[in-house]
Amino acid sequence: MAVASAALSTPARMPRPGLGQRLRPFAVHAALAGIVIAGIAIGRDVPSWFDAHIQSKIDQAYHWTVINNTTHWLFTWVFSPISDTIRWSTEHVLSFLQILRWPGVLIVVGLLGHRTGGRNAAVVGVTVMSGCGFLGFWDHTMITLSLMLVSVAVALLIGIPLGIWSGLSLRAEKVMRSVLDTAQVMPLYVYILPLVVAFGIGDSTAVVATVIYAVPPAVRITSLGIRAVSETTTEVGTSFGCTGWQLLLKVRLPLARRPILLGVNQVIMMAFGIVVYASLIGTAGLGGDVLTGLQKVNVGMAFAPGLAIVFAAISLDRITTGQRDERSDVDVVPTQRQLLLRRPGVAVAAGFAVVAVVALVAKLLGLDHFPASLTIDVAKPVNQAADWVSRNFRKGVPVVGGTGSFSDFVVVNLLNPTRDVLQGVAWWLIVAVALAVGLVSGGWRLGALCAGCFVGIAALQVWDLAMDTFSQVLVAVTLSLLVAVPIGVLAARSDRVERALRPLLDVAQVMPAFVYLVPVIFLFNVGRVPGVVASVIYAIPPGIRLTTLGLRQVPFAPREAAISFGATPRQELVKVQLPLATRSMMLAVNQTIIMVLSIVVVAGLIGAGGLGLETIYGLAKKEIGRGTAAGLAIVLLAIVLDRVTQAWGNRSQLVTRSSRH
Amino acid sequence: MNIRYARSTRWMVAAALIAVAAGCGSAAKSSSSAAGAGITLAVNPWTGSAVNANVAKVVLESKLSTAVTLLPIDENATWPGLDAGSIDAVLEVWPSGHAADVKTYIDEKKSVVNIGLLGPDAKIGWYIPTAMLKDHPELATWEGFKDPKNAKLFATAESGDLGQFLMGDPSYVSYDEQIIKNLALPLKFVVAGSEAAEITAIKQAVADNTPLLMQFWQPHWLQSKVALTQVTLPKVTEACLASAAAADGGFACDYPVDHLFKAASAKLATKNAAAFAFLSKIQLTTDQQNEIAAMVDGDGMTPDAAAKKWVDANPDVVKGWLG
Repeated sequence: MAVASAALSTPARMPRPGLGQRLRPFAVHAALAGIVIAGIAIGRDVPSWFDAHIQSKIDQAYHWTVINNTTHWLFTWVFSPISDTIRWSTEHVLSFLQILRWPGVLIVVGLLGHRTGGRNAAVVGVTVMSGCGFLGFWDHTMITLSLMLVSVAVALLIGIPLGIWSGLSLRAEKVMRSVLDTAQVMPLYVYILPLVVAFGIGDSTAVVATVIYAVPPAVRITSLGIRAVSETTTEVGTSFGCTGWQLLLKVRLPLARRPILLGVNQVIMMAFGIVVYASLIGTAGLGGDVLTGLQKVNVGMAFAPGLAIVFAAISLDRITTGQRDERSDVDVVPTQRQLLLRRPGVAVAAGFAVVAVVALVAKLLGLDHFPASLTIDVAKPVNQAADWVSRNFRKGVPVVGGTGSFSDFVVVNLLNPTRDVLQGVAWWLIVAVALAVGLVSGGWRLGALCAGCFVGIAALQVWDLAMDTFSQVLVAVTLSLLVAVPIGVLAARSDRVERALRPLLDVAQVMPAFVYLVPVIFLFNVGRVPGVVASVIYAIPPGIRLTTLGLRQVPFAPREAAISFGATPRQELVKVQLPLATRSMMLAVNQTIIMVLSIVVVAGLIGAGGLGLETIYGLAKKEIGRGTAAGLAIVLLAIVLDRVTQAWGNRSQLVTRSSRH
Repeated sequence: MNIRYARSTRWMVAAALIAVAAGCGSAAKSSSSAAGAGITLAVNPWTGSAVNANVAKVVLESKLSTAVTLLPIDENATWPGLDAGSIDAVLEVWPSGHAADVKTYIDEKKSVVNIGLLGPDAKIGWYIPTAMLKDHPELATWEGFKDPKNAKLFATAESGDLGQFLMGDPSYVSYDEQIIKNLALPLKFVVAGSEAAEITAIKQAVADNTPLLMQFWQPHWLQSKVALTQVTLPKVTEACLASAAAADGGFACDYPVDHLFKAASAKLATKNAAAFAFLSKIQLTTDQQNEIAAMVDGDGMTPDAAAKKWVDANPDVVKGWLG
């Protein structure tokens, strides 16, 4: 039963080492010794001469951009045309949505949903989308939707081809990986002003920023899907004389359809996740409504448009990625009419006709706006609920004391000690530890990478801030996993729990953090803990999903064996399922870390300080170099944590595989 | 059979085209036949900014036949917008937060012009909840904070043994760290990170009757809802201002008064001279701005309706801006 953990302790059989490999241990020891000697010579703190001078260089570049953005060819011939094209697209998509009017849009949603996912997807899609109207935000939802449709389309147009390329070429994947990491973790606050200078205020910058943020999952998941197509299948294709293109279009892509759809889902979720930022730069729509509510520190007022963002995202997700129920197609003998509609051209034409007629009728009936009489005021009950929670949970809760004292506990007993250790020890010691951890986890290359990243952080001259953020990330990741793993286990054991969780997780992932910042601060006092709490809320959905996925993928045979040996359900879980699901669990840890790092700036907005606040200072004071240095440090931290946890995941896969023989 | 398919398809396509054409025809908005070129005013996310922009919009549209688009936008993104001419003017700039923008866009690139003071003055300062003065009247001035026992009243988990001094939005000017250091106060500077976070902390402190010391300012809508008292800091002196200008870290006095000003894109003067002249002239006193802001924050009117009401009730003031 304990096969997996037993295998962990016995090293995998190694091939006979060559000369280079035999020399490697010496090189490693020499590197460690070198770091220690150099470190002792340099001292405990990062010396001021050890500076990559990134800040001043970027400040100069930005200043040049500001002064020349009306005259230089780069702007007049490259950025301006791109910007104009994007603006043209969003404007036309919006006016098309307005021509359809709300009944037409709902019909389109229903028809698309029906086409991709059958009746179920159609009903869910239409119901959820009309929720935006019931909330009283239909018109603003359409503005946001026009931005999102263009952004998602561009992100997929860029992301899927890149994903295919990186799925076919190892070298492409390697190069792209760091770029994608940077795009995903580099805070928007760092590059939003330069983007505005290049592309102007409004829709075009918003679309560019959204695309930067939403492309990584499209590339990653597509590449994963392409790689997952089995060798045998492609060999069959080749032996039948497929050309490279035919192999891709007729074999690889169709077989990778499911992962690509998952990629579409993640692109949509990511894109909607940054709608609020888009409103900072002069785009109308739901994001601005959220910010208005936040500005007035009115939770309900921010919640309603936040919920509309969630509804629009979920609706779009369900109608684009709905899984068609294949069985029903086979079982029922189709009637003549259904056969007719199954011809693609006919179905599309019929769809167009229905939409056009509905839009025309809506126009004739004057249904320009979603009926105001149908809107439901959620702001008031939400405010009452938020008030009640903040009044009753802050203190005087029996046994635990309340959120206020919990917050103090976390600061004094978790955050402060971790930060004091990280900031207190000499910086070169942390570089050495990073080298050692990388070495043990994944070999000398990883060790060098980890050490290099920390040296990079030192050279950016943001060491103490980075260690502050690092300590918060460690605490937030630990707390997230403590919440996510048990819930994920529960969901893996019960379909009902999993189904009930899905909408909640969607909400947690897409609901703008700006909506719940205020109650979080009210409950946990301004400071680092609200930041940690916001990170936990944002990071647990992937943690829960991947835990559930991993446990459900464990084959039944080993569990059956355990049961027949008399294992209790608990033993079955702890000794069989969890060890066999290690790879997926490590992916959960990995994604939790990336999520926590990707909202470091949001944490900075509510008192977390560290690199997040430094990034905000960069934007607020127009010290772009200062923000970039902090942003790069966040990226370097992310790369270290990502590669190390991925190495753990890969190793556990090797182990579990070998243990099955 | 095939002919039937084709026929029905053709029918449907035709119906679709007709319907779309019909829909398009009406959706194209009739362009207004305004005399002056339409302009765009920035609305930054606070009530005062919305009030000024809406008052200007009402007057520009009714008296100068200039169509006005109001663009809600972050104050930092406003400047590249003014620079490119996609925003024509912003009517309430707080100089303390935009020294770098003034230098880059107004002084150096000259793509943005200062078009005069808005009228109201703003004042940043140190504040505590007024209720605290009952037990600790000595906290009305900075000297009250010299006593470590008093400072410790403000201690939190984040500030440890020292008292916590809370700063809000990082974009605002802050001399607080210098003041704390130069006056040797046992306080720790903590940044809330955003205005919303700071306001939440204030509301929380007032609700619980717990001590809180923070940087805050006038005018602000919260001031009429929550009783806050400004802590007296040492008087502003020439030496102190010189130290601020030199950024030598020697600042040890109260914040100087901020004179709110208006800024316009340099292109506006040629694009719509009448609007440019009007925007240069428009001014509101602190009282007038507060009066309109109260209609919005207090009575729950939209900024648009409040501006209309105020403009209708004050024809003389408006005439002064147009003459």
